[in-house]
Amino acid sequence: MAFCDLKPVRINIDSTGVSYIIGEVFAVYANDPVPAVYSWNQIQTVVEDKRCITVKTENCDFVIPKKDFIQQEDYFRALAIIECAQKSGGFVYEHQRRILPLKSEYIETDPGKDAYTGSCEIDENDAASTFIMLMNFKLVKVLWLLTIILILLIFLGLHIFVGITRENVLYFIPISVIGGAILTLIIYLVCYAVARSKYTSVAGCDPAAQEPISFTISPVGFAACESCVYDGQELIPWSAFDYFIESDKMFVFYKDGTTSVFVPKKAFDKKCLGGISDIISLRLEQR
Amino acid sequence: MGVEIKTEHIDIGGKNVILASVKGGSAVMGTCSAGYGAKRGDTSALMRLFYIGNNPAAEILCPNRGSKNSDKLISLCTGYSFMDEEIHNTLTESFNRLNVGDSLEAGLHDILALLPDGVYTLYLSDYYTTDGAGTFFWGAYNLTHEIHGTAEHNRTIGKDKTYRPCFLIPGAPLDNFDAKTLPMTNEAVKTRAVQGIVYHLSGLHSVLLKGHHGAVSCTTAKIPYKCAVIEKLDEPYTDLYIPPAPAPAPEQTEPAQGGEAVPEAQQENPPQPQPEELPPREGITGFRSASVKIPLELIPRDMLRILLENRFEYKPDHYHSLIRKLGTVRKKSYSNKVIPHPALELAEQMPDCEMMESVFTVDKLTQAQLDALLAGETDLNGETIISPNFYSSIVTACNFLQFTNPKKFVEFSLAILDNPELYATHEYIANRISRITNKDVYAFFRSVLANDDPGYEKLRQIAEKYVALYDRQK
Repeated sequence: MAFCDLKPVRINIDSTGVSYIIGEVFAVYANDPVPAVYSWNQIQTVVEDKRCITVKTENCDFVIPKKDFIQQEDYFRALAIIECAQKSGGFVYEHQRRILPLKSEYIETDPGKDAYTGSCEIDENDAASTFIMLMNFKLVKVLWLLTIILILLIFLGLHIFVGITRENVLYFIPISVIGGAILTLIIYLVCYAVARSKYTSVAGCDPAAQEPISFTISPVGFAACESCVYDGQELIPWSAFDYFIESDKMFVFYKDGTTSVFVPKKAFDKKCLGGISDIISLRLEQR
Repeated sequence: MGVEIKTEHIDIGGKNVILASVKGGSAVMGTCSAGYGAKRGDTSALMRLFYIGNNPAAEILCPNRGSKNSDKLISLCTGYSFMDEEIHNTLTESFNRLNVGDSLEAGLHDILALLPDGVYTLYLSDYYTTDGAGTFFWGAYNLTHEIHGTAEHNRTIGKDKTYRPCFLIPGAPLDNFDAKTLPMTNEAVKTRAVQGIVYHLSGLHSVLLKGHHGAVSCTTAKIPYKCAVIEKLDEPYTDLYIPPAPAPAPEQTEPAQGGEAVPEAQQENPPQPQPEELPPREGITGFRSASVKIPLELIPRDMLRILLENRFEYKPDHYHSLIRKLGTVRKKSYSNKVIPHPALELAEQMPDCEMMESVFTVDKLTQAQLDALLAGETDLNGETIISPNFYSSIVTACNFLQFTNPKKFVEFSLAILDNPELYATHEYIANRISRITNKDVYAFFRSVLANDDPGYEKLRQIAEKYVALYDRQK
């Protein structure tokens, strides 16, 4: 099992006096001297939302508030253990949006000698600019068309409401062109804001956005994981992704048509980037 | 932080079990995962290691994504040539202490300190000095191959029953065998209370840490090979909740005239209030090792904390150096050491894995059950005799009888072989029965050779070999 080395996490809820242990099993110390212990295949659902993690069994719901994790590292460890247990336990796992792949996608394997490793925080501006770059890919052709349509619409509007004559046509043409361009620019800025907020909303849900992330690119697979839980022995096989896009600042991996992972180039030595590109492009289609 | 070892004796249904917890253990000996694809890039097989000190000692390839139902492929690591001296000395010291009368917990204390954190159970048990397939254990693991009986959840025994591991994997390569040591161990084994120290690895197999030469001597002298066993408690288990049967209603007694009739017994003992039926407890029942199941209530609190607050397996600090050593091959990659022939021959006659599986599967077989099996039934009085699968039932019954009652085994096997309706089992049974020397078996195989019945076609080769060998021995 991947991440099998993560130490179990103990969470004491001061308000209720209940303690939870998330590890090989899920244990609840309540009033009884003997804890209730569940193996992960006895868990029905785990729900991770903004404020808490709820573990549901057949008869009980155990709510673990996120504020009761003593350290952020404990929270990441607990989540990693739950996500790995989900793979073997088979329970339903509902979670918030993530900027990193789920730990259940990893397999335990040696990255080998040809692996490249690096670490950095995912910079919000870099990620947003990558989102915008991706948006541009999709929008740029549409924007030209949109500009022309807007110019024609403004021109038509002027004709209907003011009436085009031989005298004013020379004014109306530049007015239509400038008006169309301004409207297109406004639409572009709205899209820009949407694209940026798209990343910030995901990043806002996932505390990993403020954490150093370890990256590994190896011929066997790839890893992007919070540095505090990663021990360099887990990878996601390349077969888990469909294609990738390379921007000047990042590699972006896609799965099922949606962005799966951002890998900032600044996490690696500049001299390694050629080798990294080679590994990725040999295993994934570039778009 | 120093190592903290605590031991407790607990009573489980009249059976005394020794539990030992290790906290802060040095983890210089144990098992760890080496990941997928470590061997030939095969990502469907999980590789595990048994390491001793700085050396990976045994490779354990777990097929089917590490499934607990699958037998493992095990071999000694090609680079492993000897144990670290310090560890060897600790093992020798513990072994000597056990043999001067120290208790298991005192004798094994220093070895426990070498293990990773966790809770272990300690006991004494007899081991067969084979790999479970009739090969003397010391030379049986030079090539990677599937070892029958190494699955954690044995298909025959089932995952709910406990069993005693009884086969060996060497903790030292065959090159360490020294024939000059044998005269000394031949004498020593006669007086030893404990012949070896083993660490349970997987399924029916344990790694022998100490007592390799003694194993040769014990086998040759036919002395039971009693070992001190260290077994990790590392699997949660859940027993099915069976609600207690409702108490039968008391018989109605006719009220006597002028008052209520009260039975005599009731007058002396007024009815006790029935205890309230407890609802089934949610979650697991307890933790188990191969040989013992311990309910949560019986595990001491601090030991339970160790179980819950540790992973069952950690990678040791020197994990990366172990992995680097995996591919190395020792200069002398094969051994020209030879185990004495009598030991090899006697090992072949020891019970094999299939017999032991049957012994742990079946509690008792009555004549009525055997008759039912011979009649082609798998049930008797509405209860499954062994398994709903007829072939499996016959095989298990035969193996069980071979271990517990050889005479009945011969009778039962010959009765099966005489029954043409049980044709599907004939080849297997003939193979099993051909391992024993018996005049009834000889007579049966003679009749097979004399008979042209096409039903015996598959048995002819086995019969020829058996008759030839029997005649030669006579």
